[in-house]
Amino acid sequence: MKVETKIINFEEGIKLENGSKLNSFELIVEMYAELNEDKSNAILLCHAFSGNHHAAGKNSEGLIGWWDQLVGPGKAINTDKYFVVCCNNLGGCSGSSGPASKNPSTGEIYGSSFPQVSVIDWVNSQKMLTDRLGISRWHFVAGGSLGGMQALQWSVSYPDYVSKAGVFAAAAKSSTQNIALNEVAREAIRKDPNFLNGEYISKGVKPKDGIKTARMLGHITYLSEENMNQRFGRKFQDADSKISGEVDFEVENYLQYKGEKFSESFDANSYIIMTKAMDNYDFAKDDDALRKSLKNIKASLLIIGFYSDWLYPPERGKDIQIAAIKENINSSYVVLEGEQGHDSFLFKTKKYENTIRKFIES
Amino acid sequence: MAIEISRIIENWVPNNSKVIDFGCGDGSLLFKLKKDKNVLGYGVEINDEKIISCLEKGVSVVKQDIDMGLDEFESLNFDISIMARSIQCLKEPSLALNKMLNLSKECVVTLPNLGYWRCRINLAMGRMPVTPDLPSSWHETENIHLCTINDFEKLCDDESITIKQKVFLNPNGKEGIMSSMNPNFYATEGVYLLEKK
Repeated sequence: MKVETKIINFEEGIKLENGSKLNSFELIVEMYAELNEDKSNAILLCHAFSGNHHAAGKNSEGLIGWWDQLVGPGKAINTDKYFVVCCNNLGGCSGSSGPASKNPSTGEIYGSSFPQVSVIDWVNSQKMLTDRLGISRWHFVAGGSLGGMQALQWSVSYPDYVSKAGVFAAAAKSSTQNIALNEVAREAIRKDPNFLNGEYISKGVKPKDGIKTARMLGHITYLSEENMNQRFGRKFQDADSKISGEVDFEVENYLQYKGEKFSESFDANSYIIMTKAMDNYDFAKDDDALRKSLKNIKASLLIIGFYSDWLYPPERGKDIQIAAIKENINSSYVVLEGEQGHDSFLFKTKKYENTIRKFIES
Repeated sequence: MAIEISRIIENWVPNNSKVIDFGCGDGSLLFKLKKDKNVLGYGVEINDEKIISCLEKGVSVVKQDIDMGLDEFESLNFDISIMARSIQCLKEPSLALNKMLNLSKECVVTLPNLGYWRCRINLAMGRMPVTPDLPSSWHETENIHLCTINDFEKLCDDESITIKQKVFLNPNGKEGIMSSMNPNFYATEGVYLLEKK
């Protein structure tokens, strides 16, 4: 599989949903396989909150892409047939312009001055990328969780650019509970003494403890109770593989390990921006508005939910489909087993894989 | 689904209509209706493998157990709803029938006839009917509400449902002379187009 990673500069800048403007910005993009002659085999993947442009294969650091189980040669999203594109979203911290990058107008790190971006802004910036790549229609735009929100928004914002859309483990808006959980995570970051109102980079420090705590909470919400029971139960951690002396149970060790690792790589301001974008997304205020927004869609929708997902339960996906049926949109809704709770959208099961493959290839 | 049944249903479904097929199976009927009649079709199915077959055909499908109710499909402006060989499997067939006529102007129902003469012989011999058309034994069958043609038509009458069209099929899946003359005895299957009085 041919992999190409590049940084694309958009000197024209972008006007954001909240009224502010980025005078210029960069997106880091990973592209797999090749665009065919009539440019009809392009697939856009939208990443979830902590994902990035690295969706498939192993990168130079040896890291496996976030959707590698489903994207690659012969896989559900088959790079033998399709040209696949994924970019790090604006406001992220993996190479696209975000709070940890330099503001080209001032030469200073953005820090807390990076504007609050939204799902709509991401879709608009991805549309600019689409134009830059010379693609006039995506065969399939898909993502899970926050990525699913982008796929849905794509089909509404740019109906002529999307043939099929995959909205997985997502909803038309975040629930009150989603917002509440995200606020606890943000509070952990903001109260880290090294956060310094978001200006930690210029002071040479990092609010690692805050990010770690936020991520530990996040991981609890991504898993289902059953999955946690099965994986960890009440087992104690071996003395020689304990991450710290304070750890007793395996589940504690797991959360400590995941949180620690994440805190080394993720930017605190990005965490706040990304979760805020998720919370703020409200595709439509009520059922009527939902139907009106869906009216423009020309794409066929595939909505997938997972029984074990309590963060974005499958019923929220069904709400979208019922509204779509009312507006005569071709749309399918499937709910699958998936044991990993909200994270199920990342993992291959035979049914999940087949469902996506047949939908794309029909 | 037998070719004859899908041909009959196709004749009743208007061009460009909005159709919902409860228990749509692998989506063959909706696929054909889309191709031949340009309908906007949605299938409802619970079996994952069959759902995948629908998606493969480009047929829109909703994963749902139709026994859990049809309420959410109300007010979605369907012209016609279809329930082929499924109504006898439901816990509340008459409720489902009324729901279908609430959510669409017309509905198509097909059902196996327990009054078919071979079933009667089975019962006369003291056994539950097992015929090529009803192949499962009593403890394996999904058909928990089997009825005769006469029973079904009486239900329609009791529920103020008009039978707009009906066709009766013989064991070969064809409209036979005998099955049309005395369907309650000779037909293996009844195919109905219904509307609310």
